[in-house]
Amino acid sequence: MAANYWESTQRRHWQFTKDELVMMRQKLEEEEAGLVQMFPLPQLRHLNIYFNQQINRLGKRLGVRQQAMATAQVYVKRFYTRVEIRRTNPYLLIATAVYLACKMEECPQHIRLVTQEARSLWPADFHGIDTSKLGECEFYLISEMSSHLIIHQPYRTLNVLQGDFGLVPDEVALAWSVINDHYMTDLPLLYPPHIVALTAVMLALVLRPVNGSGQGGSGGSGSNAAASAAGLAAATAVLAQAQARAAITGGGGGGGGSSSGPVTPSLTPQGSMLPSSQGSADGSAEGKKIPDARMGKVQRFGMWLAESNIDIEAMVDCTQELISFYECHEQYNDKHTREQINRIIKARGL
Amino acid sequence: MSQARPSRAAINSYQAGAYSPDRARPFEYKSKVGVQDKYKVIGFISSGTYGRVYKAHGRQGQTGEFAIKKFKPDKEGEQITYTGISQSAVREMALCSELNHHNVIKLIEIILEDKCIFMVFEYAEHDLLQIIHHHTQQPRHPIPPSTIKSIMFQLLNGCQYLHTNWVLHRDLKPANIMVTSGGEVKIGDLGLARLFHKPLHSLYSGDKVVVTIWYRAPELLLGSRHYTPAIDMWAVGCIFAELLSLRPIFKGEEAKMDSKKTVPFQRNQMQKIVDIMGLPTKERWSLLTSMPEYSAISTLTPPLSAPHHGHHHHGHHYQPQRQTGGGGHLEKWYYNTINQHAGGSGPAPGAASLQSLGPEGYKLLAALLEYDPEKRLTAAAALQHPFFSTGDKVSANCFEGLKMEYPHRRVSQDDTGIGPSSGSGTKRSGMPDESLRPNKRVKDG
Repeated sequence: MAANYWESTQRRHWQFTKDELVMMRQKLEEEEAGLVQMFPLPQLRHLNIYFNQQINRLGKRLGVRQQAMATAQVYVKRFYTRVEIRRTNPYLLIATAVYLACKMEECPQHIRLVTQEARSLWPADFHGIDTSKLGECEFYLISEMSSHLIIHQPYRTLNVLQGDFGLVPDEVALAWSVINDHYMTDLPLLYPPHIVALTAVMLALVLRPVNGSGQGGSGGSGSNAAASAAGLAAATAVLAQAQARAAITGGGGGGGGSSSGPVTPSLTPQGSMLPSSQGSADGSAEGKKIPDARMGKVQRFGMWLAESNIDIEAMVDCTQELISFYECHEQYNDKHTREQINRIIKARGL
Repeated sequence: MSQARPSRAAINSYQAGAYSPDRARPFEYKSKVGVQDKYKVIGFISSGTYGRVYKAHGRQGQTGEFAIKKFKPDKEGEQITYTGISQSAVREMALCSELNHHNVIKLIEIILEDKCIFMVFEYAEHDLLQIIHHHTQQPRHPIPPSTIKSIMFQLLNGCQYLHTNWVLHRDLKPANIMVTSGGEVKIGDLGLARLFHKPLHSLYSGDKVVVTIWYRAPELLLGSRHYTPAIDMWAVGCIFAELLSLRPIFKGEEAKMDSKKTVPFQRNQMQKIVDIMGLPTKERWSLLTSMPEYSAISTLTPPLSAPHHGHHHHGHHYQPQRQTGGGGHLEKWYYNTINQHAGGSGPAPGAASLQSLGPEGYKLLAALLEYDPEKRLTAAAALQHPFFSTGDKVSANCFEGLKMEYPHRRVSQDDTGIGPSSGSGTKRSGMPDESLRPNKRVKDG
């Protein structure tokens, strides 16, 4: 339901395994074999980066909140699990997703304004697209998403968790930017929001924000990549420990399957009802002894995980996805990606 | 009237597999499902500002009957165009897709076709407005107490589900409470419903119409801009009262917005509430003085001294109170109402009298019609109220034990066209409720 992730359409209809995603995409490409052959596209990860950036650009122009942009990101991802990219004008879809997400997130923008901004942002690719085209695309988008418009985002979980784990602003900002980054991957289609949020918190704890960078979510935080190798090792250690401990204490965590965990009574997707383990007393040990304080936090985080019913395997996978994304991000070529998309739009008159 | 429709094959051409590289506009939207292929419209049920509702059967072996809500398409001149879906339609589509509870009307599917939105719901044969109306027919006779109890329990159960899922209905009224022929109560019409865990703007802004005035909570009348579950609960209290007395308990006249578009103080409606509930006081409602329209309270007329007429009934004594909304008038109202038909020559001698609802009925009513929204009963608490645990057992079928059957929903055969150009010029006449008054035909232009 609306506030209950476990009953939501998101969990029931829009959480896939990696294999399922591969199969769905393969099927789309096979059905459009001619198009696929005629119009090569960069790898999907790079397309995802590009779409993500375009959504953020349009969103910023419109002064849209992060939450609405995040919802638009997921709309685009869902749509492209149902429709082959080459059959669409991605710019039109992006503008439509932003327009619809704003209504859903209670910060509506006028359709005319969205169209105008899109046109001035992408003059060549948005050529000849008017409000009625956007309205038509809205029908298409809603229809392909089976009218499942409510998106559960990790941001809310993070907001709840930051108090519980005694995160300092730097850590919150870094976790927040990791969540921003995860929209450039398939993770929103693979894992529940609380798994993503917890992974982001863990990465924020083990990847120190370097020189106070990582302020706010810039998206495409390539700076993270440098820390990735070390981060992966540290994160994996935390999770392995938690898993081992959980196995001993009979806590959750070990429990197999990716997104299909049963209702975990100890943690709602919003992260409320946390076990009371974290002592707030030493959580305030900031100032001079930062490294120790953080180590304490990491350990407490690991302890908490071990005692919870959180699917730790999912977190391991989530971590790997993020780290490998940061590596892949290094090779991303914006110009090349843009040109290949534009070629399709032009040639096909989309 | 059914319109000439293009063949489905042509319409589905956008679908994967049917792609042809020469097509001029590959990004053209066509529905995969044709509403008229899947459903046979039997007739027209009602209309509102949103559009029209039709009754339908499945053509493809679907069991049951359906109510199809067709949103009014946008027009530029005579041409129907895409102008963007209204935010309230988006909300309703999104919320209804997530909701799943036996006391909330069930969405079957949404079809977006020919620039129109069709929401297909399970069909409910009755609604509370219709049932109440039936009992006002001569001879006027009360709704059986077991029916009232069951309706209230199911209604509260649906509300609790909505509220625990952060959904506010915001327009609860008898016309929006459906009842199936099996006696299951289903909260319907979530056209104004909203999620309340994300109040970016105050939940007031942007919506002009909020809760039909007779069911509007006092804090809204006094200018509160915050929607809370308590607002729905006031409406539930009003509905309870209406089930008992068969007429709206606070039947005020709506003050229209003036030319400057300022929202007027609904004096008449507030006065109706004061007539029965007494004036609100800051002793009983601590935040009263910070309400935007607080000053207007002093201009209202306090109810005439203590209630004192009417027949006395066994063992019950009113606390004669002056003005200060001690509930004395409500108590009088309640006992007058449940005693009205007692011992009379009702149509069904031996039928249970409303008196069986007893003092717990009054206590529940008073707790729902509590001025202070903070103190007003929540849906969860109301379900635990002794009203439901004393006396007759609550049945899951509100018609259980009844020997009569309520008249069926009126379905007009005149309009079975559901196509894009049909049903234009829908006008709403008078109070929104009118469109569902079973004895009145709605005029359609």
